Amino acid sequence: MLSKRIWMLLGALMAALVLGGCSTEVKRVGVDEVRDLSGYWNDTDSRLVAEEMIRDSLSGGWIDRYAQKTSHTPAVIVGEVRNLSNEHINTRTFVNDLERAFVNSGRVDVVASKTQREGIRQERSDMDLNASESTRKEMGKERGADFMLMGTINTITDASGREQIRFYQIDMTLISLADNRMVWTGQKKLKKDVTEARFR
Amino acid sequence: MRDIVTGGTKTVNGKQGLHHLAQVILGLAAIVSVLALPGCATYSASMAHVENAAANRDLDAANKALDKLKLGGSDETLLHLNKGTLLRWQGQYADSNTQFEAAKNLMEQLDAISIKEQAASVTINDTFKAYEGLPSEQLMVYSFEALNYLQMGDVDDAAVEARQFNLKQRLLAEKHRNAKYLSGAFVRYLNGMVYEAAGEPDSARIEMQKAVDGYKAQNAGFPIPRKLGDDLARLKAGKPAPSEVVFILHNGLGATLAENVIRVANPAYDPRNPKSIGMISLAVPRFVRRPIPVDHVVLSAGASSATSEEVEDVNGIAEKSFNDRLPVIIARGVARMAVKLAAEAEVNKKEADNPMVSIFTNIAANASERADTRSWTLLPGNILMARLSLPAGKHDVTATYYDGGGNVLGSRDFKDVEVKPGQKSFVSDYFLSQPGRR
Repeated sequence: MLSKRIWMLLGALMAALVLGGCSTEVKRVGVDEVRDLSGYWNDTDSRLVAEEMIRDSLSGGWIDRYAQKTSHTPAVIVGEVRNLSNEHINTRTFVNDLERAFVNSGRVDVVASKTQREGIRQERSDMDLNASESTRKEMGKERGADFMLMGTINTITDASGREQIRFYQIDMTLISLADNRMVWTGQKKLKKDVTEARFR
Repeated sequence: MRDIVTGGTKTVNGKQGLHHLAQVILGLAAIVSVLALPGCATYSASMAHVENAAANRDLDAANKALDKLKLGGSDETLLHLNKGTLLRWQGQYADSNTQFEAAKNLMEQLDAISIKEQAASVTINDTFKAYEGLPSEQLMVYSFEALNYLQMGDVDDAAVEARQFNLKQRLLAEKHRNAKYLSGAFVRYLNGMVYEAAGEPDSARIEMQKAVDGYKAQNAGFPIPRKLGDDLARLKAGKPAPSEVVFILHNGLGATLAENVIRVANPAYDPRNPKSIGMISLAVPRFVRRPIPVDHVVLSAGASSATSEEVEDVNGIAEKSFNDRLPVIIARGVARMAVKLAAEAEVNKKEADNPMVSIFTNIAANASERADTRSWTLLPGNILMARLSLPAGKHDVTATYYDGGGNVLGSRDFKDVEVKPGQKSFVSDYFLSQPGRR
């Protein structure tokens, strides 16, 4: 019969297979910590794009030019950021960062998005029926946007075997709604060399 | 050999180590036999319940039957592929894509080699290797994800799939240089439509041209879709796309793999040893085509109608892919049996006075020998596409299914299909033969 030692060895092997990795480990990390796992678009890329775009857009000179010309604060609406890349990228994260930076700078008004506006209009209709006259808000007094922010994310990926070069280019443009002039364009490029593991 | 067995234990000599390794191999084989024998059905046989429920259009029951199989571990990719297909048939496109995305991520991870799984596949059986999907299956996922996005009206995300496919197909073609059937012609045809809808006519033209080249290269056994040629000519002339409804049918079920026992010569046969075995039995998969129920579809709306074209011979591609893999499967099986026989001989030599050990080792070596019959069984046998040009607006559309004799097999109505000017609206269905006729 099989020796005791072999049975113990088999038992240990089975136990290792069954018990191995059966607990979930959670470790909190700083939001600025760079952790690249797969090489795909991640939080660090989103943050780097947001930082670059914010710095560039607020120092672009278009705000001052508009204020001098009209003597009021420009209002911006965030339009579509089209994902023309080969990854399913959530563009809302850096667009939200950009919106927040505009609002907090105090130099730009940000107008609610199309979906947000629909919700607000519904609320205003509801106010018409239910809110007291002194607190009711009237229809037709919305702030119209002066500029629309639009953008694209493009990628070029070159791959051979287990190595990939991933190049991302994010372009954002601020367009005057009055006359279609581009008043600011921002661009951020990222490049990654990703080598996949041969063994797991 | 010593290094593997001792693993740093210097006190074990070579002969003892070999004997212990033999015992470990047969011990593991015995455990596998004990675990596998009560549920002896192969994967492909277990999927019959899922397929039968789907054929009866009871997709909730099909989903439950799939859950009951508890596919996980080395079969997790199959769970996601099959689940994604069922959810797609149910019209739950977002959930379907969550499953397909999970399958794609796993396929990517499993591309790396696992020493543990490789060792198990040459000592126990091939089912210990995590299922990463055949190359043809890996390509097909992109088309179903893109179709799901198109049916949700999300052209940009469908275009993401098209771009991912382009990269994946290139890498697979690089890895399997002689496999012309991996051209992904159908997916490229679909991607051409996606690019055009996304406002990228140049990319659309290039994809359509590659689709034509791909159909020629893969020699699919059916003509290049006429509508593809029309599209390409129109794109080259710079003309806009017509408004139309595009109907896709998942027609029947793709091939299944059955277990087949073959006899091959034992490479370790020693004619001087009376106990040496000349021929060994191997369990290998056998490719089984299933009949394709629908010959053609007629798509109609009011007085307008269009007949379908075959756009993908899923069975044909799977068979070519299987035939390419079979020599490798057999070679690995022969190596595996040689390992098992050597282990059996080693253990029997040491325990010569105990006949029970001989019986036990023989059962362990043979009962653990199972063919890997795993495949994405809910893939269709082929894919039919019907395209019907219609004026912009809402239309009630009917798809009627005909067999080869011109008899109506069934039909499906699609109410209020919205066609936008110069755009395509995608609708889809599946049709499976009734249980017992597959």
